[in-house]
Amino acid sequence: MIAASIYPFFAWCERTWVCKEITVHESLFPALETIHLFGLVLLLGTVLILSLRLLGLLMPRQPVPELAQALGRYTALGLGIMLPSGVLMFVATAVRCYGNTSFWVKMCFLAAALVFHFTYFQKALRSGSSPKFAACGALVLWFGVGAAGRSIGFFG
Amino acid sequence: MTTVLEICRWLDRSAIGTDIRESLLFPFIEGFHVLALSLSIGLVVITDLRLMGVVMRNRPASEIWSQFFPWMMSGFGVMFLTGALLFWSHALSAYNSTAFRVKLLLLILSGLNAAIYHLTIYRKLDQWDASPIPPLQARLAGWTSLILWAGVITMGRIMAYTF
Repeated sequence: MIAASIYPFFAWCERTWVCKEITVHESLFPALETIHLFGLVLLLGTVLILSLRLLGLLMPRQPVPELAQALGRYTALGLGIMLPSGVLMFVATAVRCYGNTSFWVKMCFLAAALVFHFTYFQKALRSGSSPKFAACGALVLWFGVGAAGRSIGFFG
Repeated sequence: MTTVLEICRWLDRSAIGTDIRESLLFPFIEGFHVLALSLSIGLVVITDLRLMGVVMRNRPASEIWSQFFPWMMSGFGVMFLTGALLFWSHALSAYNSTAFRVKLLLLILSGLNAAIYHLTIYRKLDQWDASPIPPLQARLAGWTSLILWAGVITMGRIMAYTF
């Protein structure tokens, strides 16, 4: 399995000073989780608004490209907050993540969501092509990332 | 006289509270609570940013408000429903949690901020509805809301560590 061959990378992550710092300072991990949630509000919030607009359920008088331009920077900001905070939390718990099914499900959803977001979703926002497919796809994939992410802490 | 503590203890020990706490219902409800942040606070943030004169300046504030309102309220409906069930299952821990008390306080302050905004500067909306940058009082209401909701999320995350 591919995962097994990259196990040394997970083990290495937990030997880095970043991991040690986060583990030593008890409040750092909860702080990272909180920052991760701030990013979630921006990322999922704007994806939701843009998807509802594509479905014709919100701001019908506002042209889609205009709304996308206004909110795009907040989606990017949300992603820019979630990725670094997520990477730091991963580094701090890499070995546990390795054995956590929810983590791998989340990574699959994340990869699919990112690809979909920068292809179909962006295309739909610019040109209005297949808006319903783009909206539903973005919602399922991004909320899938969120649901799988939440279950990392609960299940394993 | 029945005290709040006694009510919390009763909720905590009730069949429903125990069932949620000891089953898959807890992570399931908790997941909904977290994901509905996007619909509730996510839409509030954009509304706040419009009040602050930061985003969608070319759209009337009233258009964003009236369009976002039903979605935002359904988001808060999910938040309060799931939040109440989560509280039910951990009522005693919540009662003893400082973070939970601060969270409640911040929620009340947030409601107060919204009420003050609606009773004052919102009443003169026709004078500034189309302004790219709303008057100072509206901008302050936006900033206050943003900061208070960030606090609510922070306290919500911290309180789970005390359970």
